[in-house]
Amino acid sequence: MSDLITVSRLCRSFGSFQAVKDVSFKVGRGEIFGYLGANGAGKSTTIRMLCGLLQPTSGSAVVAGADVARDPEGVKRRIGYMSQKFSLYPDLTVFENLDFFGGAYGLSGRALRSRIDEVLDELGLRDRSRSLTSSLPGGARQRVALANALLHNPDVLFLDEPTAGVDPASRRDFIALVRRRVAQGTTAFLTTHYMDEAEYCDRVGLMVAGCLKVLDTPSALKANHVPGALFEVRTARRGDVTAALNAIQGLATIQRIGAGLRVRYDPSPGRDRVAESALAADPDAVVEAAEASLDDVFRAVVDQEAQ
Amino acid sequence: MTSSTSRPLTPRKVPRFRRFAVRTGAMARKETWHVVRDPSNLFLALGMPVVLIIVFGYGVSFDLDHVPVAIIDQDGTRTSRQVARDLTASGEFDAIADAGEPEDADRLFRRQEAAAAVILPRGMEKSLARGEQVTLQVLVDGSDGGRASSVIGSSAAIVRSASIRAAASGLPRAMVVPIRGRVRTLFNPELRSAVFLVPGLIAYVLAIAAVLLTALTVAREWERGNMEQLFATPVGRLEIVLGKLSPYLAIGLLQALLVLAVGTVVFDVPVRGHMALLAAGTLLFLAGTLSQGLFISVLARNQQVATQAGAISSLLPAVLLSGFLFPIENMPLALQVIASVFPSRYYVELLRGVMLKDAPLAVLWPQLAAMAAFAAVMIVLSTARFGRRIA
Repeated sequence: MSDLITVSRLCRSFGSFQAVKDVSFKVGRGEIFGYLGANGAGKSTTIRMLCGLLQPTSGSAVVAGADVARDPEGVKRRIGYMSQKFSLYPDLTVFENLDFFGGAYGLSGRALRSRIDEVLDELGLRDRSRSLTSSLPGGARQRVALANALLHNPDVLFLDEPTAGVDPASRRDFIALVRRRVAQGTTAFLTTHYMDEAEYCDRVGLMVAGCLKVLDTPSALKANHVPGALFEVRTARRGDVTAALNAIQGLATIQRIGAGLRVRYDPSPGRDRVAESALAADPDAVVEAAEASLDDVFRAVVDQEAQ
Repeated sequence: MTSSTSRPLTPRKVPRFRRFAVRTGAMARKETWHVVRDPSNLFLALGMPVVLIIVFGYGVSFDLDHVPVAIIDQDGTRTSRQVARDLTASGEFDAIADAGEPEDADRLFRRQEAAAAVILPRGMEKSLARGEQVTLQVLVDGSDGGRASSVIGSSAAIVRSASIRAAASGLPRAMVVPIRGRVRTLFNPELRSAVFLVPGLIAYVLAIAAVLLTALTVAREWERGNMEQLFATPVGRLEIVLGKLSPYLAIGLLQALLVLAVGTVVFDVPVRGHMALLAAGTLLFLAGTLSQGLFISVLARNQQVATQAGAISSLLPAVLLSGFLFPIENMPLALQVIASVFPSRYYVELLRGVMLKDAPLAVLWPQLAAMAAFAAVMIVLSTARFGRRIA
């Protein structure tokens, strides 16, 4: 009963294209669940099925006690959905948007008024309530969309790439708001392709070409999929350094980043060898230890797939 | 643990009807805000019909007035001059100064100096005196079909009455036509075009405005992705459809009132029948045409296609198949069948019936029923085609 989302063997095809293949997972109450993947990996298709917007081809999903295939209207009453597209009415004010969506959820009169006041306060939008939605900056619009999805106090909050196109500072604020909400007992399911956003999730599932490849906490994912140690090498002579590093045995991956290389070395106590080789190739190179990130996990999983 | 605020706010105890009303009301209120926020649309919706009706009311007229006619009098007698005077007496025809010879008619038509020519033949008076039949030749510029047929009708009538008088005053008593027809036109005694055009115009302007209003607003929701957000809420299809329609129904009624006011004040069109019957008919007509626009936008899902389909599907029936300009009885069977589907013809019939003839409900109920049926079918179709799921 503590599982608010139970997905089992969920599939969805569009013609001969399988967008979602045999996906199963559970999400517990009060959890932030992150759904990661490249564009077209099946994230949005999954979220639309879970919101009762799209009929599954096969398999089942139960959200907040309602079956998405048999009782999509029951699902809709219990969830809040924030779609990928900015889907507020730009020609209405913040208050009018909230008033409309509250009405759409069956709220009216004093209950609706006080609920609007609450979410406006909760999301720091009180002084914006009379502004036209089209006049708001990106971060504030995103908060209005979140306010819309929270009006009826849903059990589960579905956020489909909620911060796409928003600056990093606003993104952090937004995630903080979601986390505060989740701390009060709401369950959140969010899709993203920002790895830093995914770091804040309790558990992360990784979609590759319609399949849910891995699913775990961010730290467990890093431990299991990015073993060994990570270094970043800053160098002006990337070609020479890469050639020198490639000669070392046990080197797992070399990846080009901004002004240098990100190197994964296995087994762990090999920092000296990496540093020596790199410095031999370019005396001016700087070698620093680095933390594993979900980016590394993503890369490792995708590489594994490719092989 | 779950905080006290996170229990669902919609109590399950709330009656279904109340929830239906709340959600439909929210849709209607939102739609009203859209209208208020962009008043240019509202002015367009209310201004366009008034402009149209004034332009049409003055521009479209079948009244024959001062048609230039070349009267070519080859006889030059008292009798022929009398016939010439008869032709121009009513003001329908103006004799042009330089009539010339019969061969000149072509040239006069081409230069648009005359629309008709009447040739009074040499020896006309003498022939009449002898009791012989005289043939007057009337040449008509047929390039404007509507005017040509009116000219033919009027000139024939004038010539006939002239010949009767000629016979009466002429010598052989036997030529007097014993029976005279006397035509009296009811309901529109002066046969003013405006009187029967304005009811048709009301139907025309309302149809276009109504179809376009809804076609555009629903297509816009699809285009902007608002529809997906709407579908993620518990709002039902019928609630969306009815909520969308109601504010535009109000605007449509306002349009109808405005156009009616312009018709009666500017064009002196009478309203002889019951306003209630007029209002009921207008309401049903608007419900049908607004739903037609809704149906189009449900199918089209983009504003450009919806605008075009909306304009064509409202304009053609309202202009061509409503009986506004062309009598439906004269159309080929296939067109008559199509005309019977669209509500425009019933609305025109109802408007003319109520405004000009004070026709009672007992006579006009089939028109009301036909419009109600069209509206019901359109609402059912749009609701059915309104996929609640996005793919």
